Amino acid sequence: MSTFPNLKTNAVAQYPATRSFRYQNQALRFLEGVEQRYRDSAGPLHRWEIRLAALDESEMAALEQFFFDNQGCFGNFAFTDPWDGTQYANCSLASDQLGLTALAEMQGKTSLTVIENRG
Amino acid sequence: MLVYPQLATGALSQFPVQKRRSLRTVVNTSLDGRAIKLADPGAETTEWQLAYAGLTDDEVAALEQFFAASEGTLNSFTFLDPTGNLFAWSDQLSNAAWTAGPFLSLTGGIADPAGGMNAWRLANSGAGAQNISQTLSAPAGYLYCFSLFARSLAGTPVTVLHGTNCINQILGTDWSRIIVAASGDPSAESIAFGVEVPAGESADVFGMQVEPQAGASLYKATTIGGVYQNARFRDDVLSITTTGVNCHSATVNILYANNI
Repeated sequence: MSTFPNLKTNAVAQYPATRSFRYQNQALRFLEGVEQRYRDSAGPLHRWEIRLAALDESEMAALEQFFFDNQGCFGNFAFTDPWDGTQYANCSLASDQLGLTALAEMQGKTSLTVIENRG
Repeated sequence: MLVYPQLATGALSQFPVQKRRSLRTVVNTSLDGRAIKLADPGAETTEWQLAYAGLTDDEVAALEQFFAASEGTLNSFTFLDPTGNLFAWSDQLSNAAWTAGPFLSLTGGIADPAGGMNAWRLANSGAGAQNISQTLSAPAGYLYCFSLFARSLAGTPVTVLHGTNCINQILGTDWSRIIVAASGDPSAESIAFGVEVPAGESADVFGMQVEPQAGASLYKATTIGGVYQNARFRDDVLSITTTGVNCHSATVNILYANNI
């Protein structure tokens, strides 16, 4: 299984980076207004929004190649959470689209969203 | 063969360049949150947005003539990715994309100057010079920058092949980057780039890269290469804004799709 590529600084993400958790709970509302809630999943799923700037051409090419190798959101890979170093073995890209902008030499910009998968 | 034109500087585009890759994945999500995915590589598209400023009269005329020859979105053309390495499988010299002489042995997994293990040792056991090259389906008359990192423990003289141009270079024991920018035969519709090792000699090479411009950028490892045949204009409209005497600007959108 592939691993999300690090930048040349060995960092995975730059500021600002966003991490979110998603639970999947269900609620049943009864006639008198009372609700009964229950868990509909084994636990939370993580999501990381990674915005990258000031990338050089090699880093941009590596990210593009990673996107291509994974065929967008099809492939799975291991992702290390840059907040706490925990490795999540079953992750994928959230989108089948990747935008890359070269603003100037060694001034590349892109963003990717990584999601943790169930199972 | 229609080929997207270079500017007078030999560059294909100016900054900023935007590139967007789109793929298609069919996802069937189960109630428990698990997903079954099916990739659809045939639906891949790549788009470039090229923003030009400060174009001369001649450059804008060439762009307009090319747009007229393509008749907007009607006819396809060859487009050379201005942000990419035109070689396919640049780190895999044993791939079928490369043509190597029969007496040239290729050994991969050599430590490279970027800190990886992607360099190759080329050893010629034959009685004559042997080369490894890749032929690109791109006009030879364009300006290309061919670059590679090379070294040799024995001070081997190698020949860098750039179309019909041959440049001799004596390698040192440390990695050095060889950069050759030139254009070739304007009537040829393909061009080969490679490196030739003399009889009985060996050399280490890494980071072979061809770019459709005058200078070399940082090495970009590739698998699919940067020559896109059957690319098209995304729009039927080309708007040119004249901002001064001999000074024009325009934005061009180019689309490449596997399925078109």
